[in-house]
Amino acid sequence: MFITGVGVVSSIGLGKKAFFDALAKGTSGISRVEAFDVATLGRTFGGEAKGFEPKDHLTPLEIRRMGRCSQMALAAARMAVADAGLEAEALKGPRVSVVLGTTMGEAAVLGDLDHQWIHKGAAGVRRAWLPKYGSTLLPIHVARAIGSEGAVITLPAACAAGNYAIGFAADLLRSGKADVVVTGAAEILQELQYIGFVRLAAMAQERCQPFDLNRQGLILGEGAGILILESEAYATRRKAATLLAEVGGHGMSCDAYHITRPHPDAAGSIRAMEQAITRSGIAVDSVDFVNAHGTGTKHNDAAESKVMKEIFGRRRVPISSMKSMLGHCMGAASALEAIGCIMTLETGLYPPTIGYETPDPECDLDVVANVARKGAHKIVLNNSLAFGGYNSVTCLASPYALPAPGAFSRRAVTLASAGAGQQP
Amino acid sequence: MTPRDVTGVGIASALGISASGSSFFDSLARAERLTARRDTPSILSFDASSYSQARVVEVPDFDPTPILGDKGLRTLDRLTKLLLVAARLCLHDAGIKKDGQWFALSPERVGVVCSNAYGSLEAITELDKVAKLEDARYINPAKFPNTVSNSASGYVSIWEELRALNVSLSDGNCGGLDAVSCADVFLETARADALLTGGGEAMSEALYLAFDKLGVLGTSTSETRLGEGAAFLFVEDPDVARERHARVYGRLVGYGTAFVVPHDSPLIFASREAMRRAIDMALDDACVRACDVDLVVSSVAGLPRFDDEELEAIASAFGDNVAVVAPKLALGETLGAGGAMGMACALAWLGGAPVAPTLLVRGGAPARVKHVVVTSMGYYGNASAVVVSRAPGT
Repeated sequence: MFITGVGVVSSIGLGKKAFFDALAKGTSGISRVEAFDVATLGRTFGGEAKGFEPKDHLTPLEIRRMGRCSQMALAAARMAVADAGLEAEALKGPRVSVVLGTTMGEAAVLGDLDHQWIHKGAAGVRRAWLPKYGSTLLPIHVARAIGSEGAVITLPAACAAGNYAIGFAADLLRSGKADVVVTGAAEILQELQYIGFVRLAAMAQERCQPFDLNRQGLILGEGAGILILESEAYATRRKAATLLAEVGGHGMSCDAYHITRPHPDAAGSIRAMEQAITRSGIAVDSVDFVNAHGTGTKHNDAAESKVMKEIFGRRRVPISSMKSMLGHCMGAASALEAIGCIMTLETGLYPPTIGYETPDPECDLDVVANVARKGAHKIVLNNSLAFGGYNSVTCLASPYALPAPGAFSRRAVTLASAGAGQQP
Repeated sequence: MTPRDVTGVGIASALGISASGSSFFDSLARAERLTARRDTPSILSFDASSYSQARVVEVPDFDPTPILGDKGLRTLDRLTKLLLVAARLCLHDAGIKKDGQWFALSPERVGVVCSNAYGSLEAITELDKVAKLEDARYINPAKFPNTVSNSASGYVSIWEELRALNVSLSDGNCGGLDAVSCADVFLETARADALLTGGGEAMSEALYLAFDKLGVLGTSTSETRLGEGAAFLFVEDPDVARERHARVYGRLVGYGTAFVVPHDSPLIFASREAMRRAIDMALDDACVRACDVDLVVSSVAGLPRFDDEELEAIASAFGDNVAVVAPKLALGETLGAGGAMGMACALAWLGGAPVAPTLLVRGGAPARVKHVVVTSMGYYGNASAVVVSRAPGT
């Protein structure tokens, strides 16, 4: 399964080139929130995509019909389609599906409707705004715009939604149920979500400093990362296709432990990473780089460090968190970060974890601190964790760097899924 | 799809909380249309005093404590409680887990695929009110997770220790059937041995207000009642079911989905063509001929614009004589839970439960049911269908 195009809306840039350039330079997208009033919330910063202007990407009718989350998703989808060099006709019909992730989808639409209801009563609720609400709408809007007629699926998998969508899209292609899948995720910065993270005491003041001893928590962000996935047969038949990366194994598990906190032993997260490696048919030693979930909270980074130790042992695999630059874009996070991983696969540059100042003994990892670093770049893992105990890891690789499918057994895959570790 | 057996059913619906699949099937045989009910039960999920006649149907006197106990429920919302009840009943019915003890399979190999259309509007609007009318600082952090879309599904895994995977799905009315497709992919790729597959939707004032404002409830031509509930099917590979001597209610054998929107059509759009394509795709996937289908469990809910398109698509696929039932006329429009409830009804009729004449919208009740097609019509030009058949030897 190959990624042939990507589109980005983020706080550090729009489009692939701007995004890659900003990641390579360690640019911070964190700034004062302007989308809503944060004066009394005790936190004022976020990774807002202030450069995103819907009118630059969408028709007036599309803008009227959609909330900001769908607008971002469609804008990024159009960039991805252009990047993939896909003709309009190639996207039409039942063999093209749209699978998108999100945490809350059109949360701002609902917030506005609630606002009208609370202050003006039921009569004040604007009927015309009601159809704009619903996470279901994200892939519907994209499918309408591109003319695809296959499955339209939303996976609201919270902060792992991007990886869930990419993994499921790859499974759809593997099972022969589609030729092309437009996938990825979108999320907006929204007031209630912002307040909620503040009330959970999970938000840092000004900086997100993953793996740092003095890390204070996450900074919420927003954006959309959309990827075009094609089956090998379809992509190689298409002369305009450039193979950006190969999607390898995808690991999924559930902690079944706590609704917001990762399991302290990180057992589920370890299982997900083992699955991603086993399902890719690779040895642990062949992983060159890990994109961390790296939220900058005490619990997350400590648990993730345990995963790294358990999986890689004494080998210090470089790890970094793009959330230090983008903020935590929740559902969109792992989709945007998957696109960042493609930069690594293309250029060999590991994006930095900015704001990293004081190593934490509990997170004794080879953190790519503050400045991008060059390194081996054939196979990377994109790690994500989420509310609900969701764990998801996707292996991404340079085209044809992975063994051919079938080189690994169903038994090995089942054992990894059951948590039996790397069996001989 | 690869054929998958259904070995357990757990449901909380307008027909009540069914202690087993069989008890739901019994209730269904006696079900009557909501419009025919003479009683008008009080609405308990929200204060309906400002609505002259709220056209909703709830899970009657919903109380999760007999099933879940009374610990740990205080901060959970209605959607989560409905799903937890359905999940526990389903695991029990499938012979997997009872009173916290596992009898078959292992927690690492059982997962959840859960559909929900609109999230917990109850939780979101409650916290929005606190933020707007009082102060954001008064928001209860223990209730904040309920606002997150996958929270209710996540709690199912937490309460039942289901660690294989947990996937939530938000495909509107089609989500309950689309969950079958997801489950098939996850079982095929050996991510689990069995999956609780289904969905839930909870009644709330915000949900009612939205549908009421859109004018789809309580009009002169609409029989639609907004419903709620949760339903899970325990879905596993036939070999796994056979190995553990599980009772099999029926077999999921085919799935189809389609999305068709003519250029410049409105956003809310019923597509006859998408429904027909989804049906054809599901039949093809199941290797079942249209003429061999005994019954269609439709998503007809009393909304003429959508019902007419769906019934036309069904007639074009099966002819005018096939029996078509509309369980939503008794269960209400349960949105994200609707597909799972439709499949549970299909299992009842495959198992020989009589088809309540009040639920038939076309044709006569078939004498014997071997193949059922369950359909879901989306609001946006999407549609899905699943074929459910008797398991061989039953």
